[in-house]
Amino acid sequence: MRIPCPHCGERDVNEFRYGGDATKQRPAHGDKDFQTWNAYVFEFDNPKGPHEEFWQHTLGCRQWFRLKRNTATNQILGGGQ
Amino acid sequence: MLEARSPLGTAAHFDLPGITLREAAGFTLTQLAGEEKALKKACGKLPAFGKADVQEAATSFRIAPSQVWVVGAAPGKLAGLHVTPLSSGRTRIALEGARARALLAACAAVDFALESFAPGQVAMTGFHHTPVLIHCTGEDTFHIYAMRSFAHSVWGWLVDAAQGL
Amino acid sequence: MTSFRRLSQGGRIDRGRPLNFTFNGGKRQGFAGDTLASALLAANDIVVGRSFKYHRPRGVMGAGLEEPNALFTTGKGGTEEPNAIGPALELRDGLAARSQNAWPSPRFDLMAVNSLASPLFASGFYYKTFIGPFQKSWMFYEPFIRRAAGLGKTSYAADDVRHETRNAFCDVLVVGAGPAGLAAALAAARSGVSVVLAEQDFELGGQLLSGADAALEAWRAETVAALQAAENVRLLPRAVVQGIYDGNHAIISVGGTALESLRARSIIYAAGAVERPLVFENNDRPGVMLASALRSLANRFALVPSQRAVLLTNNDSAYEAAFDLAAHGVAVTVADLRREISGALMSRAAGQGIVVFPESGIAEVIAKPDVRAVKLSGRHAVTIECDVLGMSGGWSPLVHLTAHGGIKPRYDEAIAAFVPGAFASGHFAAGACNGVFGSRAAIASGDAAARAALGHLGRAKLPAAATLPEGEDLAYAITPVWNATQGSKGKAFVDFQNDVTAKDVAQAHDEGYSNIEHLKRYTTLGMGTDQGKTSNINALAIMAGLRGVGIGDVGTTTFRPPFTPLTVGAIAGRSVGHHFRPTRRSPLHDWHQKNGATFIEAGLWKRAWYYDWAGKTPQEAYVKEMELVRHNVGLSDVSTLGKIDVQGRDAGEFLNRVYVNGFAKLPVGKARYGVMLNDDGLVLDDGTTSRISETQYYLTTTTAQAGEVMSWLEFLAQCHWPELDVHLASLTDEWGGMSLAGPKAREALALALPGVDLSNEGLPYMGVKDITFEGVPVRLLRLSFSGELGYEIHCPANYTEALWEHLLKAAAPLGIKPYGLESLASLRIEKGHVAGLELDHRNSLDDLGLGKMASATKPFVGDVLRQREDMMAPERWSLVGLELLEAGKTLRGGSILFAANDEIKGHGRGYITSVTWSVELQRFIALGLYQGGLKHEGEEIICAFPLKNEQVKARIVSPMFIDSKGTRLHA
Repeated sequence: MRIPCPHCGERDVNEFRYGGDATKQRPAHGDKDFQTWNAYVFEFDNPKGPHEEFWQHTLGCRQWFRLKRNTATNQILGGGQ
Repeated sequence: MLEARSPLGTAAHFDLPGITLREAAGFTLTQLAGEEKALKKACGKLPAFGKADVQEAATSFRIAPSQVWVVGAAPGKLAGLHVTPLSSGRTRIALEGARARALLAACAAVDFALESFAPGQVAMTGFHHTPVLIHCTGEDTFHIYAMRSFAHSVWGWLVDAAQGL
Repeated sequence: MTSFRRLSQGGRIDRGRPLNFTFNGGKRQGFAGDTLASALLAANDIVVGRSFKYHRPRGVMGAGLEEPNALFTTGKGGTEEPNAIGPALELRDGLAARSQNAWPSPRFDLMAVNSLASPLFASGFYYKTFIGPFQKSWMFYEPFIRRAAGLGKTSYAADDVRHETRNAFCDVLVVGAGPAGLAAALAAARSGVSVVLAEQDFELGGQLLSGADAALEAWRAETVAALQAAENVRLLPRAVVQGIYDGNHAIISVGGTALESLRARSIIYAAGAVERPLVFENNDRPGVMLASALRSLANRFALVPSQRAVLLTNNDSAYEAAFDLAAHGVAVTVADLRREISGALMSRAAGQGIVVFPESGIAEVIAKPDVRAVKLSGRHAVTIECDVLGMSGGWSPLVHLTAHGGIKPRYDEAIAAFVPGAFASGHFAAGACNGVFGSRAAIASGDAAARAALGHLGRAKLPAAATLPEGEDLAYAITPVWNATQGSKGKAFVDFQNDVTAKDVAQAHDEGYSNIEHLKRYTTLGMGTDQGKTSNINALAIMAGLRGVGIGDVGTTTFRPPFTPLTVGAIAGRSVGHHFRPTRRSPLHDWHQKNGATFIEAGLWKRAWYYDWAGKTPQEAYVKEMELVRHNVGLSDVSTLGKIDVQGRDAGEFLNRVYVNGFAKLPVGKARYGVMLNDDGLVLDDGTTSRISETQYYLTTTTAQAGEVMSWLEFLAQCHWPELDVHLASLTDEWGGMSLAGPKAREALALALPGVDLSNEGLPYMGVKDITFEGVPVRLLRLSFSGELGYEIHCPANYTEALWEHLLKAAAPLGIKPYGLESLASLRIEKGHVAGLELDHRNSLDDLGLGKMASATKPFVGDVLRQREDMMAPERWSLVGLELLEAGKTLRGGSILFAANDEIKGHGRGYITSVTWSVELQRFIALGLYQGGLKHEGEEIICAFPLKNEQVKARIVSPMFIDSKGTRLHA
């Protein structure tokens, strides 16, 4: 699979690190609510189809970016910012 | 004075028809980090991704949105920038020859054909599971920057791949 | 009996270039242009092997990669390779080929006794030896079966061949250089895009190489010449496209010694089709072949049956073989299973003296073991003496590559075949691969596919459609007959390679294994090295008939790469031996090597484990090195530690957020031990972080977690807290580091760095000082991992070796020596420091006795979820020290801990994490986790190590085995 890094261009997937679901909003630092953190850390959808997620180009620029990928076909639907 | 030792130690050199590899040691590498405005001010211009800015005293690479590598003399005015010296942290391997591009193609999944990777262009990718920065310095010549701790591994990988071309 | 004669002219062989080879040790000769199979047939080696289960004599059946029987082992020792496909193996001078699965020879095989036991080897035999009343019987049968059944054997010698790997890019990949592929490549090339044409044969032309049509041959030669001359075309003969992966990524094995990873912007599948056998009794006898194989042998290899060929068919294509054989003087009889046969075909046959029997099948194959005669079934029950029996059950498009991405093929009733079901964006198919049979139709189809691909690539101007060569293709007119068996005498094979018969398919259906996935695994049909290329469709069609459903409803099993057998060596490429993984070296590596160090792997790093000045074995050496540090002074290499440069206005705030304890108010010139948690509240890593300036910190991590922590910090800084002004840079490779420890550490450092204030005021415990020594920046950190007075000395890696040597030389009068990783790790256990073995991401701060570090005044990552009920439970396993109470015994890491009166069974109440000999206490000590932790201080417990059947007594003590007041640290 090729991943389009917004800075370095298209590269093989083994140059990257996967960072999971990007649609969840990280609770503000200092948020003390248990349910909020529990949901953020342990609960997430696992959609079959388009998925917005984080990737880091570890063998390149080391930048994290968002990517939209179809989890069933590995088609890249849009990316990088 | 304390004696310096480059990552590959004593004069690393390898020759095959169409391939020459050697360590091009003894360079100064500085990483500058900061906002684009500050980088632009210090460096004169902000190098674009994938393209080296080659000046007389220094060559600069844009390695991340807020990071620039300067090989050579670091700029004098560094206001608003965070400076990290990296001269010991990388090995610089000079590769040249008619089969240099074929060697690169054996090592990484990047299009290294002359049309796609011309003099002045820069590619950041991985060789043998380690990050490398490749600067095309001429039609047949390249500089490969790899992490110091991986230097022998990367060198060995290149030498081995060269023998299979 | 089956025999062939070589024509004196014609074919694509070069009679001027004879090639010598051996078969089972016997000398043979063929010509350049021959395959191993054609050369063996020319030498009348008709029986070339024995079948997998039943050891039935077998000969060549097909003309290419679809061949199920004629498999050979070539080479010797380090070049030996089994299962080479005879009709696809280019003959070369000096080739040494051996038949497989037959002893002493294919013609006289003693292992054929399996045939007598054959009723036992029916469907589900293997399965049934594992279940039900016979479930232990597998262990009885296995040794016999393993010796008797099988295909090639592989050598245990190291691979002598280098396997290269390379990457490539192109605009259009065309798979297959038959008429469709050649046409597609030509059209694409003419528009200027970059084209790669991959063909598994050593010549380009596909089906055209087996034909006798002058117009088609002229077209082929012209097209190949044009492609060879085109600069934007890369021709890859002898190249098998093994698999198509996400992102238009093709893996191609080229010439057997290179694996190419090609990324194409578009792909045209023109891989062609393979002919299906027909299913009738004894259809596996030597001399029973695919009709297309006979045609190929005649036209390409100038080999024809000596007297007469009988052809059995259910479609028009076999008549091409009939006409071509007759043209070379072979007597030909056609048994056509169909009732209606085209008048044009019949009159052409008559014109060439070919006898055609409509509505006829094969009642019996008379063979000893090769074909002598056949008896027809149906309206004309005649017996015909013949050399060969050709069979054509129709053609199956090679849809495999189109289905690798998971798109299932669909059944096309009109041609009674599966065709590609759909295409991913940028993928196209042409010719027989797409169900378009006939060479001229294939050319048109390939041409059209190229124009579609060019459109996809955004080319505005498309070339005009190609003109087709003169002449007409034969029609197809198939009447599918999936099972042509007549009775129950003799075996009717469906899968020739795995010896699966029509009866086996029926038995599987009877026993309820009628789903295609069950059929495959229950009978092993389609699981051989040929992956069912000639058997899958017949099998599922027979099953459809038994189930009374449509063929499309039965469906196919999953197509997976590789398309043909691929050695592990080819996939490994050069990632073998010490190249399997990269190795990381400390800047002191060469010094360690020259000075008696034994290395050990720590992740990717090679670290000095112990030195030979201290002993010959690790057990001996680490104790001596520990004594050196406890009583004197030692120097250890800690360059592998993760080191991160943290700069920015908000650097302090950033560290405050990630560490459980405070760092924003850490004074400049001070270091602090810090622990980080994950969002889930469990411990991620620890390290010592120093403040270099108002806006700069020097953060260290454990060696093992350096990469993890860096990515984690970058994730937080870039994605979640972009409002913070903080910049991170890895310094792990930029700086080398050494640990100087022992009661004489200060003295040693003073000798090396005269003029630097190393007093308690000048450099207090946990103080940090940056100096310059002989022009080199050096960072001194007064830290102690060992519990003795200690310093870490960091400097740029280019100078680390020089500084290390200087230190050793300057402090030599004190008796300083280097110490390695084993003793470094042991010293910290004595001191009670947690390290990697305790920081395994399953433990909380409290588990490790570090709960007091958690700040009460500022939030930090993980602070909320670390307070989950379960994680605060009092009976959790928490950190304890252990002292061995039995002399002469040892403690072992991983031992399971039990209370004195517990039954020694199950998970116990904890386990030992780290063990060392204590030079201070002169006994074995350990760190571990125990239920309830130090509440049980003083209690005697049992440490059980079931793997060695050991149980020893130990006492729970504080983990701070030595110097609990820290006097030595503050000396």
